Amino acid sequence: MTLRLKLLLLGLATLVLPWAGCRYAREMESALREGEQTSLQSVAQTIAASLQGRTDLLYREAPPAPVAPAQSLTPAAADASQEAPADTDAAAGNGTEAAAAPAAPAADAVPTKSGPYDLEPLVLTSAPPLDGYSEDWPRVPTAWKYFTSGEHRRFGILTGVYERMLFVLLEVHDEHPLFDAPGTNVLDPAIFGDRVWLGFEDPQGVQQQVFLAATGPGSVTARRVEIGEYGQRTAPIEPRIRGAWQTTSQGYRIELRVPLSMLGRGFGVLVDDRDARGALPVSYGSLRSDDLHTLGRLIVAAPELTSYLAQFLQPGLKLSLSAPDGDVLARADALAQAGALRPESPLLARLYRRFVDRPGERQLIESSAPIYDRDHRDVIGTLSVTQSAQRWIHLRDHALTRMLNFALITSLVAVTAMFAFAAWLALRLARLRQASESALTGTDLVTSFPETGAADELGDVARGFATLLSRLNEYTSYLRTLAGKLAHEIRTPLTIVRSSLDNLESEQVSPAAREYVARARQGSERLNAILIAMGAATRVEEAIGSAERVHFDLVPVLASAVAAYGGAFPGRTFRAELADEVVMLDGAPDLIVQMLDKLVDNAVDFTAAGALITVRLRLEALAAVIEVDNPGPPLPPHIEGRLFESLWQSRPDADSRPHFGLGLYIVRLIAKFHGGEASARNLPDGSGVRFLVRLPR
Amino acid sequence: MKRQVAIVEDEPAIRDNYAAAFTREGYAVRCYANRAEAMQAFSSRLPDLAIIDISLQDEPEGGFELCRQLRARSAELPIIFLTARDSEIDAVSGLRLGADDFLTKDLSLPHLIARVNALFRRLDALRTPAAPADIITRGALTLDSERMSVQWSGQVVLLSLTEFWMVHALARHPGHVRNRQQLMDAANVVLDDNTITSHVKRIRRKFQSVDPKFDAVQTVYGMGYRWVE
Repeated sequence: MTLRLKLLLLGLATLVLPWAGCRYAREMESALREGEQTSLQSVAQTIAASLQGRTDLLYREAPPAPVAPAQSLTPAAADASQEAPADTDAAAGNGTEAAAAPAAPAADAVPTKSGPYDLEPLVLTSAPPLDGYSEDWPRVPTAWKYFTSGEHRRFGILTGVYERMLFVLLEVHDEHPLFDAPGTNVLDPAIFGDRVWLGFEDPQGVQQQVFLAATGPGSVTARRVEIGEYGQRTAPIEPRIRGAWQTTSQGYRIELRVPLSMLGRGFGVLVDDRDARGALPVSYGSLRSDDLHTLGRLIVAAPELTSYLAQFLQPGLKLSLSAPDGDVLARADALAQAGALRPESPLLARLYRRFVDRPGERQLIESSAPIYDRDHRDVIGTLSVTQSAQRWIHLRDHALTRMLNFALITSLVAVTAMFAFAAWLALRLARLRQASESALTGTDLVTSFPETGAADELGDVARGFATLLSRLNEYTSYLRTLAGKLAHEIRTPLTIVRSSLDNLESEQVSPAAREYVARARQGSERLNAILIAMGAATRVEEAIGSAERVHFDLVPVLASAVAAYGGAFPGRTFRAELADEVVMLDGAPDLIVQMLDKLVDNAVDFTAAGALITVRLRLEALAAVIEVDNPGPPLPPHIEGRLFESLWQSRPDADSRPHFGLGLYIVRLIAKFHGGEASARNLPDGSGVRFLVRLPR
Repeated sequence: MKRQVAIVEDEPAIRDNYAAAFTREGYAVRCYANRAEAMQAFSSRLPDLAIIDISLQDEPEGGFELCRQLRARSAELPIIFLTARDSEIDAVSGLRLGADDFLTKDLSLPHLIARVNALFRRLDALRTPAAPADIITRGALTLDSERMSVQWSGQVVLLSLTEFWMVHALARHPGHVRNRQQLMDAANVVLDDNTITSHVKRIRRKFQSVDPKFDAVQTVYGMGYRWVE
């Protein structure tokens, strides 16, 4: 793993910043949500408390306080409506068995429990058009009430409230649907077809009835039966009630609209089913069939309840009031208005939300509070408040976006900076490494070192290297001069020995002693030879220092030198493969020959008697290459590059001549003097070793 | 009267060995260990020949200074540097100061004595008229082996003893290659290749200072040198 990559990873660690930001945003969001929940709860409780005991609003009951109990209304109502049932007697006939259900006294004001005849209108979100079709109504199967008579007679009733209107949808199953016969007198029993009675208590508690009769599909009018001063009966149209009558495949459907202002507590429907015009009807429904008094109540909130709730309404809030059994009495909805608060969020913000949001939690928060009756005993309703989360989510999004932007930019800057820094460091380290490598492997001693001027730790390392290197240089140059110095120091005692021997030979010594003198002289001569060999490199360096460059032809120089080797080394065969052309070089031919001497010396040393040593001059575009091939043992791999170093040698066994590992060093010195380089390699077929000196032309 | 040889050498063993050898050869030998001692003795009387070591006790370059002072007093006094140093620079500076020869101490005593004898012979020869038998003439070269003097186109070329013997060995048989060993034997020295090369180079340069077109000493690479006319 490179330093660059490591620092890059380290830089990526700053991404913990946006991560922590997300975590914080989530925490903040939960806290916010909790606070919002609490405040919503208190809103709900406040509204609920303000509605405590307001059954008048919730169920349109008579206002509390000293109003006459509902019980007292009943006789009055009965009196007042004495006439009406009587009128209808003829029409209703004695179909009393249809209203078989026992009369439930609607007097007691316990609105929380609905009886079998009670109707609980839906709270509609829009007014269904009065067209006799059910498509505009919400599909709530549980909200339907069904009444039956026998096996084949059945009708369902669905009620709904929108604003101040009660809507009624009647779905009547009738095998023989029958319209009234067209005629002038709607009260003429002979024209009676299927008819529907609506019975209700008016706000004063008086029972009222209207009937619906149609001569064909379409809009239908309601009429009330009135008995005039002189007993004549009329059926004036009740204009406030509007409706439509449509036949269906199973019977017919009636859609009605009744203003709530007409209605009191009781409400019911009675269907007069006739199989033939003027026949006795089969009456069934939620009205008493004898006097057409209501059996069930209309459990609906006062129209004022909605406006009462609306005063608490704010954008993004939904208030909903429901009866204890869960039916909604009223609602006020401004949820959708909150959406306007949130402008189209930018792409980045939406991206962030994907990371922060947990799925399915952001939409709505709800809270509800029970509404008690006056005595705080029973629950008369439940107020639920729903708030859209949009508003504060928008706030959170705003903060989150800014924070994440900031954190990401910080991270990006940090990572970039770290990467750049790492690259810079790596560059410096690479320079240092290169310098330190070439300091040891290069042919020259490195005297300058990069980065030593830097004030940081890398500079310290570089300075350390430089110090080490200069020590190494001192040591190496000491080693290089050691041979010369040693030669010089040994020369004086050697001179003492040799001059003493010279003197001794002039004296009269016995023949036996003369032998010893001869041996001592041999020894001193060898010592002298060693001294000369040791000083060779120094002298070559001196010779190079004082060498004069001349323009000369390399070919005759090499030719003459190779020709001489045959005489110098009778045990070897020499072959010269030289170019046929003139190869002019600038340099010192003496030194070139000396270099060749060393190469040939080396070749001779490593080959057996009779070996063929080839000296070749090969021409390249820019260089003349002198090659000396010998069939000696191949070079071991580890010595590559060291071969031409000073005081280094790799000889398999000892040799009578002194060797100091200077020969090839001298070759390198001379090659360098000519701007060239020396190298060695094994011959490809493994038959020997080739030494090359490349001299630029 | 015996010729007087002064040996200025700080190493007693070497000094005594040399003294013994020269005494045996019939010379009067006087030995000095340092420059002050030598100068004091030389101020009263100059020796006939001085053999000087370069580094003298506490003076690393004392021999050079001594040589300069001696040469100032006498232009003809033969001076031989005999030193453990064998660097080119030392040799050049020694010879430039007017030394007649620059020898390293690995020279054997017989060789040294031969040189001293030769130098005295030259002194003697300079005092007597030249004998034609000793004169070799090769083209522009005139070589007097007795006086050890060399002339090129009539101009004197000043050579050290070693250089003279090398030129002599080459010029005696022009066209013949003399290898290094032969040159060393002729010059009574034991030298390595580079020293011979630098001697030859110095010889060429000395001739060239007289005649820039001098090209009589030719290198036969790998073998040696020859004199061409």
